[in-house]
Amino acid sequence: MAEMVRKSSVDEILNHWILAGSCILLSITGFAFLFHLEPVSSVFGGVNTMKEVHNWGGVVFGLSLLYSMRHYLIDALEYDADDMQWFKVAGGYLSHKVTVPPMGKYNPGQKLYYLAIVVAGIAIAASGLVMWLLKDNASLLLLSHIVHNVAFIIFVLAVPVHIYLGTLANPGTFKLMVSGTLPLSEAKKRYPKWMKAAGKM
Amino acid sequence: MANDNTNNRKAILVTPEACIGCRACQVACKSWNQLPGIKTKNNGTYQNPPDLASAAFNIIQFSEVPSKESPVRWLFVSRRCMHCDDAGCMKICPSGALYKTKEGAVAYDRDKCIGCKLCVTACPFDVPRYDAEGKVTKCHLCFDRIGSAMQPSCVKTCPTGALKFDDRAKLIDDAKKEGFKTLYGEKDLDGLGSIYAFKEEPKLYGMKENPTIPSSVAFWHNYLKPLSWIGLSGVVAAAAIHYLAIGPHKEKEEEV
Repeated sequence: MAEMVRKSSVDEILNHWILAGSCILLSITGFAFLFHLEPVSSVFGGVNTMKEVHNWGGVVFGLSLLYSMRHYLIDALEYDADDMQWFKVAGGYLSHKVTVPPMGKYNPGQKLYYLAIVVAGIAIAASGLVMWLLKDNASLLLLSHIVHNVAFIIFVLAVPVHIYLGTLANPGTFKLMVSGTLPLSEAKKRYPKWMKAAGKM
Repeated sequence: MANDNTNNRKAILVTPEACIGCRACQVACKSWNQLPGIKTKNNGTYQNPPDLASAAFNIIQFSEVPSKESPVRWLFVSRRCMHCDDAGCMKICPSGALYKTKEGAVAYDRDKCIGCKLCVTACPFDVPRYDAEGKVTKCHLCFDRIGSAMQPSCVKTCPTGALKFDDRAKLIDDAKKEGFKTLYGEKDLDGLGSIYAFKEEPKLYGMKENPTIPSSVAFWHNYLKPLSWIGLSGVVAAAAIHYLAIGPHKEKEEEV
C-alpha cells in the first residue's frame, strides 16, 4: 500500500464537521426566518423552537469557528510570490492549459476564503448575540440586524463555492475531510512546497 | 407594497377637534381586549396612562398649546397603531407573527411571536409593546370584531364621533367634503389605516412629521433579502456551469 500523508488531524476534521453542520443548519433556519418558510419551521415544531435552535446553533458555530483558528489562521495570513501568480492564472480553474505555480498546504483562494469566513463569522456571531441578549437597545438592534444580514450574504456566496471546490471540482479532496490522509505521490503533486518543507521530497 | 384590498380596506378616522378627552375609547379597548389597569402617577398632565403600553393599545394624547386667541387650549388626539399599508413591523418580523387582515388591519399571532423586538425598531410610530411574557402586543383594529361586521370597540363607544370607522376611501371622501383639506396618513407609508383630520398643523398635536420606515430596514428588505437567494442560486448555477463547461481539476502527469 502506498505511503499516506496526513493533511488534516482528527480534531480538525471533527471541528470542521461541527462548523459545517452548524453553518448549514443556521443557513436553513436563517432562510426560514427571512422568508417565513413554514414548512421549515414546522420541522422544528414551530417558529419559537426554531429560534432556540438558531440561537444555540449560533453558539456552537461561534465556538467552532474560534477553535478552527488554531488549524488555519497562521497559514491563511501568509502569502508569497507563487500565490500572486496563482491569482493571475485563476488557480487553473478557468483553463486546464495554464501552468499553476507550486503550492504549499493551502492555495491563496482557500486562505482568502478562510479569512472571509473568519470576518463574516465573527460579525454574524457577534451581531446574533447582540440581537439575542441586548434587544432593548433599538439602534444597536437595527445595526446588528443589518450586520447579521450582510454577513449572511457573504456566507451564501462563499460557502457553496467552498463546497463545490472541495468535492466535485477537485476529485479526491473530499476524503481529506473524512480520513484526513492522501497518498504521498498525490501530496507531492498538489502541495509540493508543503512536502518539501516537511522533508518528504 | 401594493394593497390588493384597496376596495374594502377599512380605517379609523380620528377628528381631534371633536374629541372631548373622555377616554371612553381607552376603557372600551381594555374591556374588549381584557387588559388590566395600569398603576400610574399624576404627572401634572391629563394624559393617563403616559404612553402606549402592553395593557394600553390606545391612549388620548394630550397637549396644552395656548395661542393668542385662546390662552387655554387643550388638544386631544386619540393614538393607536396606524395600521400602515407599508408596515415596517410586518416587513422586519422574522417569524411571520405580524400579518395583515383582508380589512387592512395589522394584527398578530401571539403564538408565533419569538419576542425578538425587531418590530419595535422598524415601527415609525413607536407602537409595538411587549407584555410580561415577552410577546408583542398592540392595537389590532379589533380585527376579530370588524371581521364580524362590528366596529372596533373604541369607535363603538366614542360619544362625539371623534372616532369613525368605515371604508377607508369613504372616510377620506367624507372628511374632504367636510372641509379637511389635508388628512394625516392619507398618503404616508402607502396610506395609513388610522387617518387624522386636522384643521391645524398635525405637529401641534404631537404627530410625527413625514413618518418613514428606518432606511436600514428598507435597504435590507429591498436589496439584502432578494440578494440572499439570488446570490445563492447564482453561485450554485455558476458552479454547475463551471463543472460542465470547464470541468474538474485534472492532475498533470508531467509535473513534479
